[in-house]
Amino acid sequence: MTLTNQELPAGPETRRISTSKAMVEALAQVMESDERVFYMGEDVGAYGGIFSSTTGLLDRFGPDRIIDTPISETAFIGLGIGAAVEGLRPVVELMFADFMGVCLDQIYNHMAKIHFESGGNVKVPMVLTMAAGGGYSDGAQHSQCLWGTFAHLPGMKVVVPSSPADAKGLMTAAIRDDNPVVYVFHKGVMGLPWMAKNERAIDEVPVGEHVVPIGVANVVRAGDDVSVVTISRSVHHALDVADRLAGEGIGVEVVDLRSLVPLDRQAVLSTVAKTGRLVVVDEDYLSFGMSGEVVASVTDVDPSLFSAPPVRVAVPDVPIPYAHALEQAVLPGSERIEAAVRRVLGLTG
Amino acid sequence: MSDVLFPELSKEEPGAVGVVATWFLRDGDRVRVDDVIAEVQVDKVAADVVATSAGTIRLVVEEGAEVRQGAVIATIG
Repeated sequence: MTLTNQELPAGPETRRISTSKAMVEALAQVMESDERVFYMGEDVGAYGGIFSSTTGLLDRFGPDRIIDTPISETAFIGLGIGAAVEGLRPVVELMFADFMGVCLDQIYNHMAKIHFESGGNVKVPMVLTMAAGGGYSDGAQHSQCLWGTFAHLPGMKVVVPSSPADAKGLMTAAIRDDNPVVYVFHKGVMGLPWMAKNERAIDEVPVGEHVVPIGVANVVRAGDDVSVVTISRSVHHALDVADRLAGEGIGVEVVDLRSLVPLDRQAVLSTVAKTGRLVVVDEDYLSFGMSGEVVASVTDVDPSLFSAPPVRVAVPDVPIPYAHALEQAVLPGSERIEAAVRRVLGLTG
Repeated sequence: MSDVLFPELSKEEPGAVGVVATWFLRDGDRVRVDDVIAEVQVDKVAADVVATSAGTIRLVVEEGAEVRQGAVIATIG
């Protein structure tokens, strides 16, 4: 039951916290009310998650529900799948999205396919969390996003929050979903004190239960001239660009997809119908991924909505470099986004 | 009016200097009991600073500032 605050009829009571604290708060609130929920992964106990995804939960819920695992992803993801099949609601953390390579069989052949292969008789209500993203010189095997790879493989939902409130609301929704949900948190949106400062990683979050439905995009900033459709950390860069260009009288609409599966194609169509100009920004690789899929969401229905060819800003199809300058060059930062916006508006050659 | 102090994270070294890593509130914000005000660090140990009284917060030091343990980092009045 949710209590409404009589003094604040405008909305629920909120306060400012970081994305990591919002994620932990959702886990704690759901675990309080549902004994079937537990969290498992490498360094999620005493350490609190290397990107602070579980800080304080071990003290609160004990080692039977906050479970440190050996470095054995295939085994503990398989354990989570078994627990989910038997009626628990596990949240299992893969420390880095990059580590999918050692355990993908459990993820895409088992977690994602059991419901289909059982003719719909068996459910796998599991959440697979993972850290993603670069920008802090962690090298080619610790900096990838890879959400497009998970989204490409059928059978799992894929959510990628960009804000503290969405991190909380999508976690609650993911745990309650009867389908397997991949929950990808970008290290750069968590508000960690030892990462590069990101003002947008701390924001207002509802205090009580907060649910964000999976598959519904969010227009985080309205504008009339050009649409930037993006996800995760890139939403923050897009908002920075929108702030800058507002000073030149350019209205940038920023759409945060919030989930890749299901993809809110109607939201893409709606914003392009409004502006006629589309820039898609993705920190995942360019080819065969989200950016092409978003463009196809329009061309499949009505290519005439475009008054200019859409522009994609993503990581070119190369491994993420360790060297800071090279890494910044391949990431879709605000300078590349701004150049793309100008290009789609015909303001540069 | 109550002072918000930088917590004693290092017991061995009472005069240790740490960092106010993150302010979760802005100067002049309303604060309630148990709200997380800041995250502070000494060496690699991090801790939340939680409000023990309600009121309006005044931030005394900048985010990222180096502060000695026990020093006043904000006031609530």
